[in-house]
Amino acid sequence: MTLLAKDTIGVPPDDILTVKNVAVSLTKGGRTMVSGVSFGVRRGELFGIVGESGSGKTLFTLSLFGLHGETEISAGEITFDDKTLFEDGKRRRLGRILGCRIGFIPQDPYSSLNPSMRVGRQITEAIYLARGTPPNSRQCRDEAVALLAEVGIPEPETAFRQYPDQFSGGMRQRIVIAIALSQDPALLIADEPTTALDAFTQRRIIDLIVERSRRRNLSVILISHNLELLRQSVDHIAVLYSGQLMNIFETADLGRNPLHPYTEALFECIPSVNKTLTDIRSIPGEPAGAGFGLTGCAFADRCAYVQDICRTARLPENTGRADSFSACLLGKGVRT
Amino acid sequence: MNYFVQRLAFSILSLFVLVVITFLLSHVVPGDSAIVAAGPNAGAEKIAAVRQQMGLDKSLLTQFGLYAGKLLSGDLGTSWFTHQPILDDLKRELPPSLELVVVAMTINLLVSLPLGLLTARYNGTRFDDIVRVIAMAGAGLPIFWTAILLQQSFAAEWRIFPVAGRLGFDNRNFDGATGFYLMDSLFAGRPDIFADAVMHLILPAFALSLLFTAVGVRITRTAMISEFRKDYVLLARAKGAGEVRIMARHVFPNGATPSLTVFGMQFGWMLGATVLVEEIFGRPGIGRYAVKAVTQSDIHAVVAVVLVVGLVFLAANLVVDILLYALSPHKRSGS
Amino acid sequence: MTARAEILGYPKNAVEKMALIIAAVIMLIAIFGGFLAPHDPLLIDFRSKLEAPSWEHLMGKDGSGRDVLSRLLTGAQLTILSTFAVIAVVLVIGCSIGILSTFLGGWADNLLMRIADIWLGFPPLILALGFAAALGASLEAAIWALIFSWWPNYARLSRMITADILSQKYIASASALGVPTWRKVVFYIIPNAFDVLIIQLTLDISAVMLAISGLSFIGVGAQIPAPEWGAMIADGRNFVNTAWWVVAYPGLAIFVTALSFNIIGDMLRRELDPTLRRNT
Repeated sequence: MTLLAKDTIGVPPDDILTVKNVAVSLTKGGRTMVSGVSFGVRRGELFGIVGESGSGKTLFTLSLFGLHGETEISAGEITFDDKTLFEDGKRRRLGRILGCRIGFIPQDPYSSLNPSMRVGRQITEAIYLARGTPPNSRQCRDEAVALLAEVGIPEPETAFRQYPDQFSGGMRQRIVIAIALSQDPALLIADEPTTALDAFTQRRIIDLIVERSRRRNLSVILISHNLELLRQSVDHIAVLYSGQLMNIFETADLGRNPLHPYTEALFECIPSVNKTLTDIRSIPGEPAGAGFGLTGCAFADRCAYVQDICRTARLPENTGRADSFSACLLGKGVRT
Repeated sequence: MNYFVQRLAFSILSLFVLVVITFLLSHVVPGDSAIVAAGPNAGAEKIAAVRQQMGLDKSLLTQFGLYAGKLLSGDLGTSWFTHQPILDDLKRELPPSLELVVVAMTINLLVSLPLGLLTARYNGTRFDDIVRVIAMAGAGLPIFWTAILLQQSFAAEWRIFPVAGRLGFDNRNFDGATGFYLMDSLFAGRPDIFADAVMHLILPAFALSLLFTAVGVRITRTAMISEFRKDYVLLARAKGAGEVRIMARHVFPNGATPSLTVFGMQFGWMLGATVLVEEIFGRPGIGRYAVKAVTQSDIHAVVAVVLVVGLVFLAANLVVDILLYALSPHKRSGS
Repeated sequence: MTARAEILGYPKNAVEKMALIIAAVIMLIAIFGGFLAPHDPLLIDFRSKLEAPSWEHLMGKDGSGRDVLSRLLTGAQLTILSTFAVIAVVLVIGCSIGILSTFLGGWADNLLMRIADIWLGFPPLILALGFAAALGASLEAAIWALIFSWWPNYARLSRMITADILSQKYIASASALGVPTWRKVVFYIIPNAFDVLIIQLTLDISAVMLAISGLSFIGVGAQIPAPEWGAMIADGRNFVNTAWWVVAYPGLAIFVTALSFNIIGDMLRRELDPTLRRNT
């Protein structure tokens, strides 16, 4: 892996992950699913990626690290932890990144644990893969038990010996988080970690992720289709639609950021105590799948502000790695 | 524990049903066996006497009771064409068939499991396509035809393997204790006989296993593919686990379990199919014995074979159940 | 219910197209084979026995001087039609039991399925021997034996599908609307089960065919001189050294037919089975 001083190319040194003009295509057939995405995730920050089903958010994030079986990066640059992952059309060797620098929390807690392997073993295996500690050693075992306690599993010593099907969905998700944390990663990727859970458990799991990451100074990428959940939990949000990056904004002070019409519309869909039924909108039309390309805005057909230029002009990209960005060709968005 | 009792009870029930069926086949269906037993030219009086002797004048239920009773004491009747107690016949004929099936089943497992796993992992590649085509072809080859072809080419033409029999001419008088020559020869300290027996087993076992292996690869492949799609594989990759570890420790244990049920059934089916290769390779076995019995109209011998095979099959099922139970400890726990 | 014509759009490569064509041809032969035979399949002529293939007798002659090709063509009827007979009966009986079992529910359902499970694993060949001994060796006995052995396959499959369909919400709606059971079976269950059943069917065709020819081979199915393909192989076995054609052609016929249906079954599985569809 090459160690390059990245400030010369404009990559902020306190970024854990920087992506620039990244496009993701299918290995079979070459269809481009996601194009022109640029953003940066700082060390220690929580970064949210939001989008409807089929927007490409999971596909994109997994492909960054080569975890998606059917895609490849077709353009752009990816820098992780000061090391180049992808540049000039070639992927550099991932080496030990997967096992020690990145933690992953998949979406479905019911299938993300090996059903015939004891829970403790799945954690000690992760520790072994990250640090080489023999999985049957006392030390490894103790670490695993400690982690189970840390994520809130009651009676961790007993849990260590049990099988995944003895736990509820929320508990299993905690176990998966324990596995991710056990490898002491620099970046945690949580792919819709709460979608399969009920509302109460959702809150608790997100809180767990947020709290543990802050404690360990971990960077987190949180993928979700729940905009409100993200707004309450992360520092920055990137909005994806149909494979295009629509918006990046800070959650701390919404009014200061340019919000894309799509984001605006999403916010209006969210029910809240203050709204009456008629205040809650829905976005007309059907969501388009990923793979729209960079010509024209994918949201054009459903947008309230649409004009001809929206369908023909090339979509702007966030090459300047700004923390606030809107891809709206008309420059629309709520501003102060 | 409860599960076991349930399965055992069910097996015993099945055995009972099997006994009923064989009773029907041997006593009810063939018509009046008293006439046949009395011989030609028997007068009505003689027939009536024979009928009484055979107990055929009693009620069906009583006959069944007698029949079942005899079975329990091991009396399977006497064979017409061998003039020996059928039980002895079976003791002689069953081991060669079982030996053949065990070897064929071993070949099956040794080929199906790894190939199924690998083709699942490399799904969609050239390798996968080639294996699938071969498997499809293999599943279309009649066992007896394959046996003939193999015998013609490898044995008769190219003389690599012996043409027929269980042992060569020099060893023809070998009489093992159990009837399983592979074990007997080792117990007797005769590795040369062991080698001889193996050579005689290769072609028939291969012919027998081909069809089942082709199917086995298919089944295993499907099971493994569906495991590879699951999220825990993705998580394992993200953990940094290498391909080998993922295949060996994650996918295989989970994918092999459902295939195990099918392999268990194949054991029974193979036992039934031994007759096809026994005929061709001139090996003794229950298949040949049963066919001989059919041609000689010895219904009792045939029925005994049906019973014994049924017994073996039920036992194999039970073994598979035990194995599944042992291999899936996670299913034992209530959630 | 998938339109029958759609099947023409399924083949993805030359091999699959060939398989469909071959299967169609073979089924035609099974029906009309008798008329296509150039010679009398039963005509014995010991003077010309084991004659090598020639223009007059494209596949040579067997041990009794009968024309192999003619026997093959006429025998197709025996092998193939008995296969289809078994499958048809087994389909109807098995599915009836399976659907009935689902509607019965509870312990009856459980029991029936357990019985089917056990029954399924019993070696059909051995059972066939039993039938042959009781009823006399004949193709009919073999067919009955196979029917007797094979129905659990379809009972289990149809039970699984029916249970799955019945648990769907649209059935609950139909019940609320007052749709009678028989209508549910005919208009909801059968169309949806069709796809899965047809996959199983095509694969079973090759399996049953191998079983029937196997039974005839060992002498408990069709009896010589009937030109059933398995029986032909048994008949010619002793001459395989010198007259390979007597054994090769019937075997090839069985193999090619079974293989074609296997390929078709595979093709159908790929096209129809939703669980195997890949996500793009």
